[in-house]
Amino acid sequence: MRKLSITALALGAALLCTPLAQAANARLLETGSSLLYPLMNLWVADYQKGHGVQITTQSTGSGTGISQAISGVAQIGASDAYMSDGQMKGTPMLNIPLAISAQQINYNLPGLNGIHLHLSGPVIAGIYSGQIKFWDDAKIKALNKNVASKLPHHEIVAVHRSDGSGDTFIFSQYLSFSTPSWKNGPGYGTTISWPSVSNAVGANGNPGMVQTCQSTKYCIAYIGVSFLNETNKAGLGYAALLNRSGNFVLPTAGTISAAAKALGSKTPRDERISLVFAPGAQSYPIINYEYAIVNPKQADPSTRAALKEFLSWTIDAKGGQQERFLSSVHFLPLPAAIVKLSKAQINKIE
Amino acid sequence: MILRSAFNRLWWTVSILCLLAAIAILFIVFAFVAIRGFPALHPEIFYTVTSGIAGGLANAIAGTFLLVSVGLLMVTVVGLGTAIWIVEFAPPWGKSTVRFAIDILSGVPSIVVGYFLYVALVEALGWGFSLMAGALALAIFMLPYVVRSADIALSKVPPAMREGAFALGARPAMVVFTIAFPWAAPGILTGLLVATGIGLGETAPLIYTAGWSNYMPTLAPTYSPVGYLTYVVWTYISQPFAKSHELAYAAALLLMVFIFTTNLLARSFLEYSSSSRGRR
Amino acid sequence: MIQRPSRLQRPNAQIALGGLTGIAALASVLIIVLMLVFLAIYAYPAIRFNGLGFFSGTIWNIGNQYGSGSVTRNGFSAEPGAIFGAIVFIFGSVATSTLAMLIAIPFSIMVAMALVYRVHPRIRPIANALVELMAGVPSVVYGLWGMVVLVPLIARLPGAGSGNGLLAATIILALMVTPIMVATIRDVVLAQSATIFEASMALGGTSWQAVTRAVLPSVRGGVVASVLLAFGRALGETMAVLMVCGSAINSLPQNIYQPVNTIAAVIVSQLESALTDSSGMAQRSLAELAVVLFLITLAVNIIARVALHGADRSEGQ
Repeated sequence: MRKLSITALALGAALLCTPLAQAANARLLETGSSLLYPLMNLWVADYQKGHGVQITTQSTGSGTGISQAISGVAQIGASDAYMSDGQMKGTPMLNIPLAISAQQINYNLPGLNGIHLHLSGPVIAGIYSGQIKFWDDAKIKALNKNVASKLPHHEIVAVHRSDGSGDTFIFSQYLSFSTPSWKNGPGYGTTISWPSVSNAVGANGNPGMVQTCQSTKYCIAYIGVSFLNETNKAGLGYAALLNRSGNFVLPTAGTISAAAKALGSKTPRDERISLVFAPGAQSYPIINYEYAIVNPKQADPSTRAALKEFLSWTIDAKGGQQERFLSSVHFLPLPAAIVKLSKAQINKIE
Repeated sequence: MILRSAFNRLWWTVSILCLLAAIAILFIVFAFVAIRGFPALHPEIFYTVTSGIAGGLANAIAGTFLLVSVGLLMVTVVGLGTAIWIVEFAPPWGKSTVRFAIDILSGVPSIVVGYFLYVALVEALGWGFSLMAGALALAIFMLPYVVRSADIALSKVPPAMREGAFALGARPAMVVFTIAFPWAAPGILTGLLVATGIGLGETAPLIYTAGWSNYMPTLAPTYSPVGYLTYVVWTYISQPFAKSHELAYAAALLLMVFIFTTNLLARSFLEYSSSSRGRR
Repeated sequence: MIQRPSRLQRPNAQIALGGLTGIAALASVLIIVLMLVFLAIYAYPAIRFNGLGFFSGTIWNIGNQYGSGSVTRNGFSAEPGAIFGAIVFIFGSVATSTLAMLIAIPFSIMVAMALVYRVHPRIRPIANALVELMAGVPSVVYGLWGMVVLVPLIARLPGAGSGNGLLAATIILALMVTPIMVATIRDVVLAQSATIFEASMALGGTSWQAVTRAVLPSVRGGVVASVLLAFGRALGETMAVLMVCGSAINSLPQNIYQPVNTIAAVIVSQLESALTDSSGMAQRSLAELAVVLFLITLAVNIIARVALHGADRSEGQ
């Protein structure tokens, strides 16, 4: 009997506490892209000092970001990929660029990690579809004549993301736009059906990619540029990639902004556009907008206000776009014209 | 003959070596976690929350205990009720059906429970990642342990005590609360402790029900995700930062300590109750 | 205390207690039925869409989310190019669990025999406690150890690639099911009267022969049940396997080192991807996987329980 009354008491207490919890500060849940995650953390840590809002950041994957923003579980879905027409038809969402990012192609080749190998879309597609099996393949040698003799006769371990990922999206776009056989095969998407390669490894998130590649010699992986410090620390090499104009370029502030400039003016009002494989002699081929996926209909007024205020701050030159935030993760600020478009989208939240 | 006894000795040696190997593995895993986790157990871990790639574990510790407590609350009500019904009220077919169902439930993979609750509660009912969804997942998982131990403990109440009470005119409710419960209490408590250990260590059913939160959990039943220790182990170990790894090991060590403590408590309860019963 | 009239003695109290506990018991049974029925209904579109190809295909492709149009089969549609074949995952679950059992069965029998016949009864509680602690180690901790210690060790073997794969998952699973099997086998042997062992010894022969020729055969049902229960557990194990299996997709391992994937692991790792499928078919196909896993473990567990009950009846006397 005593046990039952204790139980009843506890249940009652739990129910009583419910309204209290709801009266607390506005809470925002940000989830998704592990590429945007390091920047989000810098932003949120700074932003919270002056604002009475609790923002939880979570590194899951762009797929989760998009879907949880749609389902309403999260208020901000972080994604490296814009939503597809099919997804937009179901629930129209805002795709708001917050910054410009890029992707590196990394490898762990003992003795060669200090050298930037030259790689092209078709060669990487060959590796990920299992046609190029060894590091000393003639096609890889042909792009790297100066180190051709040093390339080891070792099986390549291709590492790909096992979660739904914007990195997979822009990586597979690079392969699709540069390699017809890839376009007609796996194609592009946040999740693609990887060709059957029996030693290929799936890893979870950008962090998992770094971790797996570090512990797996002779691997190749695609990793967001915000993890450049980590991939350097892990001793991984990164490649110079063949761009549309036929030059091999490294991901630097100069090559990334060259690519952003080339396609920035084409950005439509809803800002859903691929920046991959941009024209221009110095354009780095794998860059993208980092999106906040947000439902324009926010019923709760305090959540809505907090959300708009935070998003506006992130794209403000005196807020989130400051050099001190972006440069530490190797992102670039949005050009002024894009800030305007993003601002207009934020104003649509109601 | 000599050959046979040599074989005999060889086999027994192998079996003892296997036992030693099993115990060695436990020590290796524990030592591995302890050696890497202990230096990371700074005091501030207990009062700061996780943020970004590192921080503390206060939110995860509190969340773990909150989820397990609420789950335990649910499972105590349903589990003890089920056990009482089996022992005191059920017709024979009812007894065997429920016991069989409980056995089957203990074999359902945790991810199936998690996926079911994700689709049904988090999405369809719109609870979001929440305390209730997570606690319910744990409760479903802990239920068989509680029912089984309570069933066994209540069934072991000596028939003489029960019959004596009935002969004096006691009715079932009276017998349950004044005779059977006090007698079976140590066994029931053991079951609850074992279930606690199970709940503390679960991950798969929580990922898509409790979600994860960087903040201290609230008592809001729905729409507010809750952090927990096993999540820290799983995610932070695959971050490429030494700080994150430290946190993962610290969380793993805390989990092992919590679980070992509850298991040892459960064990000592059992020993205590069986030894005191022996004296009666 | 019984002479004193109490609320517990009222007729209403009897009905209330019987009713309330009856509801609790019903809830326990209903949970299983509800889970299975709900998942099956939820998965129904996928079951129709995938047809038997689900059990023969190796390709898991949620389709092109950025393409146009859709593909329709049996009245249910998904993204263009979508095809859901579960063989890789079903194979992975069965292969890792079966191989793990091949290691764990002899190992567990050996450990249990040492516990029963070679450990002094005074020390036995300590050894028992240690075995139970081993069962209490959380799945993620085994996964953590596997990821940080075991996988790099395997990667050192020639031709082992990344080290994530079938072998790593098998070893971790074997470690995880061992304590469960040891505890059950130990209990059924201890429950068996000592006379069988002694009678066999009296007939001549060594103590090990007594164990293998008399004791173990006499508890056959209990051992089979413990093996099946452990097998069911291995099939459903998620986190530890996910952390070391290499998350293979669309490909079956060509050797023991290569990446695999299991049903349980893929539900965790692919749910995020599935959620991006605007047709919803990927999420429903995962539910179909969950139903398949549910049914497999259900069958294994039912057989195990029947074996155990049979064993109780024939061996308990």
